[in-house]
Amino acid sequence: MPPMLQHFELHVLLAMLREGGETYSVPLVLALEKRMARPVSQAAVFIGLSRLEKKGLVASRLDEPDSGRTRRYFRLTREGLAAVKAHRSEHARLWRGLGRALRSDKV
Amino acid sequence: MRWLWRLLVTDADRRAIESDLAELYEYQRQRYGDRAARHWRRRQLALLPLHILIDRLRSAATHARNAMRHIWQDVTYSGRSLARTPALAATIVLTVGLGLGGTTAMLSVVRAVLMNPLPYAQADDLVWIYTDNPPHRFPLSVMDYRTLEADHPAFSEIAAWRNTSLTMTDGSQAERSAAKIVTASYFSLFAHRAALGRLIDAGDERRREAVVVLGYAFWQRRFGGDPSVLGRALTLDGTAHTVVGVLEERHGPFERTIALFVPARWPAPTRRGPFFLAVAGRLRPGVTPAAAVASLRATNARHFPPKRPQDERSSWGMVDLKERVVGDVGPRLLFVLGAVGCVLLIASANAVNLLIARALRRQRELAIRRALGASRRRVMQHVFVETSLLALTAGLAGLAIAAGAIGLVTVYAAEYIPRIDEVRLSAPVLAWFGALVCASAALMGLVPALYASAPRVNQALADGRSASEGPAARRVRRALVAAEFAVATPLLVAAALVLISLTRLSRVDVGIDPAHVLTAGLSLPGSRYPQPADRDAFWHRALDRLAILPGVEAAAFAESRPPQEAMELNDFELEGRPVPAGQSPPVSVWVGVSERFFKTLSYRLERGRLLAAADFEDDAPLVIVVDRAWATRFFPNQDVIGRRLHSGGCNTCAWTTVVGVVNTVKFEGLGASDNGVVYTPSTGSSRGFLMLRTVGDPASLSKVFQAAIQELDPGLALESLSTGNELMATAMEAPRYLTVVIGLFAITAVLLSLVGIYGVMAHFVQQHARDIGIRLALGGEPSAMRRLVVWHGLRLVAIGIAAGMAAAYLIARGMTTKLFGVALTDPSTLLAVPLLLALVAVLACLAPGRRAARLDPALLLRDS
Repeated sequence: MPPMLQHFELHVLLAMLREGGETYSVPLVLALEKRMARPVSQAAVFIGLSRLEKKGLVASRLDEPDSGRTRRYFRLTREGLAAVKAHRSEHARLWRGLGRALRSDKV
Repeated sequence: MRWLWRLLVTDADRRAIESDLAELYEYQRQRYGDRAARHWRRRQLALLPLHILIDRLRSAATHARNAMRHIWQDVTYSGRSLARTPALAATIVLTVGLGLGGTTAMLSVVRAVLMNPLPYAQADDLVWIYTDNPPHRFPLSVMDYRTLEADHPAFSEIAAWRNTSLTMTDGSQAERSAAKIVTASYFSLFAHRAALGRLIDAGDERRREAVVVLGYAFWQRRFGGDPSVLGRALTLDGTAHTVVGVLEERHGPFERTIALFVPARWPAPTRRGPFFLAVAGRLRPGVTPAAAVASLRATNARHFPPKRPQDERSSWGMVDLKERVVGDVGPRLLFVLGAVGCVLLIASANAVNLLIARALRRQRELAIRRALGASRRRVMQHVFVETSLLALTAGLAGLAIAAGAIGLVTVYAAEYIPRIDEVRLSAPVLAWFGALVCASAALMGLVPALYASAPRVNQALADGRSASEGPAARRVRRALVAAEFAVATPLLVAAALVLISLTRLSRVDVGIDPAHVLTAGLSLPGSRYPQPADRDAFWHRALDRLAILPGVEAAAFAESRPPQEAMELNDFELEGRPVPAGQSPPVSVWVGVSERFFKTLSYRLERGRLLAAADFEDDAPLVIVVDRAWATRFFPNQDVIGRRLHSGGCNTCAWTTVVGVVNTVKFEGLGASDNGVVYTPSTGSSRGFLMLRTVGDPASLSKVFQAAIQELDPGLALESLSTGNELMATAMEAPRYLTVVIGLFAITAVLLSLVGIYGVMAHFVQQHARDIGIRLALGGEPSAMRRLVVWHGLRLVAIGIAAGMAAAYLIARGMTTKLFGVALTDPSTLLAVPLLLALVAVLACLAPGRRAARLDPALLLRDS
């Protein structure tokens, strides 16, 4: 059974998938702000990433060049990708057949 | 915020976060302008650590909740699982509980008696002052005290007292009560307050009116705590005393049993002796003990310059008051603590052993849990919770045992252990107890937990049969059994030593036949018997009256009572043997006796003659009778009759001549060596012992004895009325208690060790059933199988005993003389202990051995 994913954690995973390959927190913050159309704090992204790493869904490495910025780079793991897929198919199953109900305004 | 940052993330991560923030700040600045970007940055910097902190706390809480849920599951599961093996659970709970309880009780005793300060204000400054005449230490005289009272630069206060007993007459009833004659400074020295009225003050030593202060317990018992007792007149030893106050309830060891306190009214002394005053002082702030001793010696030298060369070493000395109160009981207490600590160790080792065996039996169950997804940690936690549950239950049992043991000790050991009334299950002792419970839980849980969770467990499933013991577990179990025997051996040796010492004590020749003897103490109050002649007249009247009682063969008086109530020691100088400078004169027990004393206690005359009526005349030449030990000590292989001495340091007095030698009789305790006793004609004694030789059972004459004394003087009451046999039993009591306590611990230790070796060997047979079956099938003799098992077990036991003998040897060598009063001269007793242990271990191994011999090979081979 894939590990439980919180809402925001899934958002971070999707943003990483969109970025592709290794990425760090800044592009993720900007991508999430753009997609969600609201400010996203760096703290939320940092916490989300560390939780995902603890669950084994992302892996990270620290890059400390002699000159320039220190960065922690993250990439999706195989388990991370599987979790996103599992989530997607679960949601697809849940949404299936609900189109008519959503189109009418009856409650 | 920096410290919070440091606490939450590593330095590298912090740098990465800061660099990401800087990048985002640049983006914000370009998009929204400087001001908005700065605001954004401030907000982010403040929020980031807080967010991380909240996240960490939340995840820790979730973890804890999950862990608690698991632990609770484990607790209920363990409870059910232990309930299915009640014998094992009960064995562990009771044995470990006994060890924990016993250790805690002894820790309470050691803390209260040896470690806690005396229950007086600033007790560390209190010291005991004595006359130091090496190797003897004895009390001060009135002249000493008055001198010191006037000149004590190192002390802020000093006080003196003397314990006595007073007869309180109330109508026709006379009651003897423990009393203390104290100086006015006594209560302020110990910072005592009055519960009612006032305490004794300086005026009471001079005032004409006699006053008394009551002890709190006595006031409660005798007067029901009635405050109107103030101002009442009590008749004490025939004199009216006005009650002026009641001492507060809080008290120390010096007031514990005291019912009455009366002010000291010692007449101004004309000479330095006799020495009978207990003196204590409080050091001035800033004065070191060494400085105080120097000051005491200087004061002594100033006021009492040595007249004879042998007096040069004599001075005043002091020790910490607590040291004086506690005396030499320390090593005994630590010894018992060590013994009960050994029991705890063995009980824990035994519990570990039993739990490993249990873990082995449950390998399949635990393997299934692992296979169903339980992590190694989870399984370890389960086993740990189970052992903790056991340790906790054992702890509860231990607490009950400790409370019970303390109750017993405070009642039964009150005579032998000072300050025993101060023993409590106090907070520090409870903290130690908690630590002991945790330590035993950790010890008990560690080995089985590691073993039960090892990956090897998966094989148990594959095997599908009962689990097998790995080499590591086997080694641990064997080592534990060997260790149990290693600890049990010195304990058993110690038990043997105390038992030997007790047997020796019980065989000690006291020198008299205690059967048909009845004795009691009696004091004559100075108010009604002021002159020696009055006192002599009373003793004569009493002896004449007692001698004609029906059933009484003879009656006598003596100032001391065998076997352990020597009331007076005296120094002397033998004719022709002056004491060399710097050495102390010899000292012997000095017993004033009546004429018929030797006959009443059935002494044997060995040489010369006994005391005769003429020796008691006022102008008779001074004569003494000595015992064989005295004669041998001072005149080995020589005739002692006619030898002369000067007693009590009086070189100008007339000579005292030895006229007879009697057999040696113990006066200083059964264990003490015989240093010789001198018997002198008693004249004018104010207190002593009346002794009767009876025809029949002496106890039956107790009432008649008391009535006869009351008839002579209704104001007198007998004290410590005892038959001869009772006196002997009392002298044996303390060593007997020690023997019983150590013996019980040793037996427990041996039983636990036997359970250990039995368990290991039974498991050995179970494990090797197939091999044994094959051997039997191939024609092996059943007796050989039995021997194999016993031999296997004995090897372990031998290793343990060999290790334990080293410790035992140290105990036997280092502690015997001090602790048991008897030196261990015969090493065969030391060898008997390991042999006995090995023998019982063989018996324990025989049952599994017999099972091995009776295995049915056909059945076993068919099964496999």
